[in-house]
Parts: sequence; structure tokens; C-alpha cells
Amino acid sequence: MNRYLAFFKKEIIEYIRTYKLLIMLIVFAIFGITNPLIAKLLPEIMKNLATDGFVITLPDPTAYDAWTQFFKNATQMGFIVTLILFSGVLSSEYSKGTLINLLTKGLSRTTVILTKYFSMVLVWTICIILCFILTYGYTVYLFPNDITYNLLFSVFCLWMFGLLLLAILMFSATLTKSSYGCLLITGIIVVFFMIIDIIPSIHKYNPISLVTDNMGLIMNSIKVSSLYLANLISVLLSIISLILSIVVFRKKQL
Amino acid sequence: MDFQTLKEYLPFLIPLIILENSLSITALVHVLRHPHYRFGSKVMWILIVLFIQIIGPILYFTIGRGEE
Repeated sequence: MNRYLAFFKKEIIEYIRTYKLLIMLIVFAIFGITNPLIAKLLPEIMKNLATDGFVITLPDPTAYDAWTQFFKNATQMGFIVTLILFSGVLSSEYSKGTLINLLTKGLSRTTVILTKYFSMVLVWTICIILCFILTYGYTVYLFPNDITYNLLFSVFCLWMFGLLLLAILMFSATLTKSSYGCLLITGIIVVFFMIIDIIPSIHKYNPISLVTDNMGLIMNSIKVSSLYLANLISVLLSIISLILSIVVFRKKQL
Repeated sequence: MDFQTLKEYLPFLIPLIILENSLSITALVHVLRHPHYRFGSKVMWILIVLFIQIIGPILYFTIGRGEE
């Protein structure tokens, strides 16, 4: 346990010194503020774009628009920034050879993988909570009368998909030596999830539904119970990826 | 956009401006104090960091920053 804590501390210090924590916090805070703002200003912007004989009318913005922005930003830019920042999780250690000292001193490879995963998870959790709180605060301030359903569960699904992505990232980091290879494998797996989503009967089990059904949840057009299976499968896949990455990393030559 | 509308959005704009600028300023300070980059020159990185909002500083810290 002591080793986990020591290595965990090292990881967090690394995130602070390499500015990764700062970037994540600022980027998610910016998203948190812009989500409701864009929703509120979009009709205004469209009005300015309109010229003679070409009028764009949009309905009055609601809290749903703000949450649409939230889930759009978090699942696109949010995930991209997170993955790019964390893509060097093992490759930077390989290239600098910093792990060799620790491993020869008796740190187990399982500890390395698990601690790295959980420190990434910690940063991701803090960022998504920050983004959520900011969006929630400003949305309530701008659109006080709109009712949203299942908000927390919807964000929980997003968070859960983040955990799965980080586990896949960890696994692909053990497979390759470079951070680009790691990003590529993660990208291919996500695209694979998207492609199999075409088959309607798989949608219920596909983890990608955790980030595509959020707006349905908030508008109460999708039942909460329909996502239980996807959540469960997402947890299982995360655990499998972690176990696989430990197995691969143990055999890996540093 | 008149002054009244601007005033209405100040609670959004002030934190937003502070956040975006703090990101670029941290990156700018880092560019100036560590003159070794994986590629590119100091001038190039200063321009990227200052004029590409959000993405510029992220690019610098992820792919542009040299090892100490």
C-alpha cells in the first residue's frame, strides 16, 4: 500500500510539473463556462448572420441546449484533450528510461500500471466534476425555469465511458513504444465501437451508448434502466483492459 | 452588441478571459524560460501560444516542449 501511495504521489507531482493538471483544469473550466454561454448566444449570433431575404429563426434557447453543448464538448474536445495529454503515460517513461530504476529497486509492474491508471482517473474525475459544476451553475442562472431529468446519471455515464477510454489507453500504451501508436490504437478501438453501433440490437450493450444517449436521458425519452447493461459492460471491459495491460507489461522489455 | 448586453454577459466573460489568458501566459512564460523545443523556433511557439486560443498552449505542452 505504501508503494502505491509513493508512486501515486510521484504521478501527481509529474502532472503538476508537466502542466498536464493545469491544462486539463483550465480546458474543462473553459468548456464549463462556454457551454451555457454558446447555447444562450447562438440565436443572437444567427440573427447577426442573417442578411436580406435570408432569415434564420431559432427557437428560444433552453437548458437542453446548454446540456447538448456540454455533452458535445466533453465527448469531442474533452476526450481528445484528455487522451492526447495522457498518451505519453508510459511512452515518456520508456524514452527516458525512468522506470528501470524503480523496477530494479523492487517496485512491482502491477503497481506501476494500477497507480498510473488511478491517477489518470483521479484527474479525469476532478475535471469532469469541475466542468459539470460550472455548466450546472451557469445553466441554472441563465435558464432557471427549465426542468432536466436524470442529470447526474447522464454525467455518470459520461464519466464511466471516460474510465473505459483511459483503461483502453493504458492497454494500448503497453502495446506500443510511442505515444502516437498508443493514440492510434485507442482511436481504432473507439471507431470500432462506433461502427458496431450501426447494428441496433447491439446498441444496448455497446459502451458507446453511454456517450450518445445522454441527451435522451436528460429529456426523459430514454429510460435509465436501458443503460445499466452498457455501464456494466463498460466496467467489465475496463477491468479486462487493465488485466491485459498488466499481463503485457510484465512481459515487456523496457 | 451594445453596452447593456455586454454588461449582462460579464459574469461569463470575466472568468473566461482570465482562464484563456492564464493558459497562454503560463505557456508563454514556459516558452521564454526553456529555449529548447522538440521542433520549431522560439518565435514560432510564441506566435502559436499567443494567437491560437486553447489549442496553441496545449500543442506546446504536449508536442512542442523539449526535455530539460
